[in-house]
Amino acid sequence: MMQEQVNWDEVDIGDELPEISLDITTRRLFLQASGAQDWYPAHFDPAFARKAGHEDIFMNTGFVQAALVRLITDWMGDGGFLKRLAFEMRRQHRPGDTMVCHGKVTAKKETDGAALVFLDVWAENQREGIATPGEATVILPRAPASEG
Amino acid sequence: MAYDIEEVRRKYIGFETAKTHGRYPVEHDPIRRHCHMVDDNNPLFIDPDHEGGALCPPSGWLAHYFASLGPWPAVFEPLFPIVPTPGKRIVNMSQEVEWSAHIKVGDHLSVVRRIADVFQKGITIDPEAVWIVAEAIITNQRDEEVCVVRNTLLTHRTPEEVAAANANA
Repeated sequence: MMQEQVNWDEVDIGDELPEISLDITTRRLFLQASGAQDWYPAHFDPAFARKAGHEDIFMNTGFVQAALVRLITDWMGDGGFLKRLAFEMRRQHRPGDTMVCHGKVTAKKETDGAALVFLDVWAENQREGIATPGEATVILPRAPASEG
Repeated sequence: MAYDIEEVRRKYIGFETAKTHGRYPVEHDPIRRHCHMVDDNNPLFIDPDHEGGALCPPSGWLAHYFASLGPWPAVFEPLFPIVPTPGKRIVNMSQEVEWSAHIKVGDHLSVVRRIADVFQKGITIDPEAVWIVAEAIITNQRDEEVCVVRNTLLTHRTPEEVAAANANA
């Protein structure tokens, strides 16, 4: 399946990115350990996590980042370039949660020949609401008729 | 001996490690595993026959993995174990990644790590929690910068360690 290509000219401020939803199941925890190769026990050992003062184990930075990256790259298509992604791990995504990632276009401008789109992105769950707020900058191709 | 945050700041802010090289090149299968943990089936990342070649997704975490964290045996490697802190528990509170170039399968990545800031700011369970702002500058085999990863790490003690320290004070 080829990713559909979005052009800078077609994007409007206020556009929303198609959301993605991930259930944090036991299977997902194993996928996290395999996919992120993060062996810090707070992400898979409940006793360790609780001793450290957390209520339970929680998903790691690599996992949350991968979800936000998927949100953005699914939307921007193969011709887009993720220039910047920043996010805060303010609250946790834990087993039993459904993590839903969202994004919204906040601004667009051209600088030094680059057609930039600015996004608010975030991951939320049913316990905490917005647990991971963030922002991103993407370079998109111009529509063919707009290229000089 | 009491923890001296000013001494730690003087000694470590600005410290930069020597460049280290990832043991393995950027490979298809770690990318596939990384993508599949979030159900990412984008052929650009997971199809080895993708026209023009497969890319590594723009994840600072994965770039860092290929630059330094890949070798076996698996060991959790704190970004800056060299910075002394009262507590050894770590939470990554934020990350910012700025990209300059794509990472392609077959690239060899390297990393230089730099300590941008260290400060003390208490949290509910540990009034002496220490925060470390760490940068990782990741380059490819042509010495081109591909991304800079900036993490803000919270290090803290367990509630038991805090209670024990208070009892001994």
